[in-house]
Amino acid sequence: MVNGKRLDGRLPGDLRAIKIEAGILKNAPGSAYVEWGNNKILAAVYGPSEALPKHTQDPERAVIKCRYQMAPFSSLEEHNRSGPNRRAIEISKVTREVFENVVIRESFPGSEIRLFVEVLQSDGGTRAAGITAAAVALASSGIPMTDIPYSVSVGKIGDEIVLDLNKLEDNYSDADVPIAISPRQGRVLLLQMDGKMSKEEVSRAVKMAGDAGAFISRLQAEALRAPYLRISEKYRNKTAVNAPSPAQRPVNTTNPQQPGAQPQGHQGQ
Amino acid sequence: MMQRIVVPGEKLEPKPLRIDEAFIDNGSTYSTIMSIYDDEKKVLVPLEGLWYPREGETVVGVVQEDKFNVLIVDLDSPYRGLIFAKDVSGDLAAGDIIEATVKELDKTKTVILGRPRKLAGGKILYVKPTRIARLLGKANSMIRQITTATQTSVTVGMNGLVWLHGGRMDLCTEAIIMIQQEAHTSGLTDRVAALLQLGAR
Repeated sequence: MVNGKRLDGRLPGDLRAIKIEAGILKNAPGSAYVEWGNNKILAAVYGPSEALPKHTQDPERAVIKCRYQMAPFSSLEEHNRSGPNRRAIEISKVTREVFENVVIRESFPGSEIRLFVEVLQSDGGTRAAGITAAAVALASSGIPMTDIPYSVSVGKIGDEIVLDLNKLEDNYSDADVPIAISPRQGRVLLLQMDGKMSKEEVSRAVKMAGDAGAFISRLQAEALRAPYLRISEKYRNKTAVNAPSPAQRPVNTTNPQQPGAQPQGHQGQ
Repeated sequence: MMQRIVVPGEKLEPKPLRIDEAFIDNGSTYSTIMSIYDDEKKVLVPLEGLWYPREGETVVGVVQEDKFNVLIVDLDSPYRGLIFAKDVSGDLAAGDIIEATVKELDKTKTVILGRPRKLAGGKILYVKPTRIARLLGKANSMIRQITTATQTSVTVGMNGLVWLHGGRMDLCTEAIIMIQQEAHTSGLTDRVAALLQLGAR
């Protein structure tokens, strides 16, 4: 931290540039692509379909099977062994548990929902970006959910609490705390901590993640609406069903009230 | 008319209302899926959603397995179709495309089908289940318009499988894809009519 600014010139409460697209894979019922700073993440959802092997079935609700994987070319370190490594297994588990809290699983007893998160390029905070992408993919597949969760990491550099750490900050910070939140109720669905933080610092970190959430949630909702609005736009003059009224339509991706907001597509570095 | 596109978890009404595909929490009503909400009529029209079987519905499926006294049917959904051998008239084997009626739903949501009819030849189109209502149209007006213009015989399964056979299948497919993509816009009937007219030349 130099003069209150971080390595890439951001202020402590700034997010990196985020771009979300929904429904980009033709063969998957639900999919999403997220660019979060230098992270590039693809998420796809299949199902619900009959859970196989049969011993994995739950007769009362659907089971979620999640696979988080980093592509061999995604980072400078090696990710090229076949099958998931210890880290991927852990992240798959925590991602699954986030969505077990929001998907209405009781509608599909005995079935499985398969969730894939592929990291194409990584620059710190991929599990947070992966959860954000997977939430959009699930919503775009039509699986009923009570909310669209988002996730962001918060960390500590020196005495400062900072939002959305990149790879370098993540590796050399004093603490790194990925948090997933269900914004409708403000429920925390994931909170992991690598490093040390005081009780007071953790509550500040959770609050910071909550404040950034309004912006991320809006990007998610916009991404989900975009394909429909594009078609509506085409027939705007003739159509009655179209975008929400200007008062409700979240067009502007920058939010002056939101300190973490950055213009979409603007590189944070 | 106030219609807006809502996403899962978005508040529909600040009071508890019984609306399909919505849930009530803390005295307010929220959507569970991507849909269009009509403020006046208080209805959700799903944009993305899954098929929930109801008794009496027509479905299209592919016979997956022939097990002595029961046929297992793939309905392209979380639900598995079953046909008891006593309900089968004629020969049905694995791989056959069939049309059937939902006779009964059991607790584990296995769908018991009745009155199967083999659909020979033709092809299957996968349509989003939420678009089937639009594809049929009011009193089947839309699908009748398509079949009349293309001379294709079309069987629409509520589960999202549509079987086409004969006539101008290419034009019929094009019209169905158009409906799938533009179901949420109005004036669609006219555009489909224009497409069919143009294609018929």
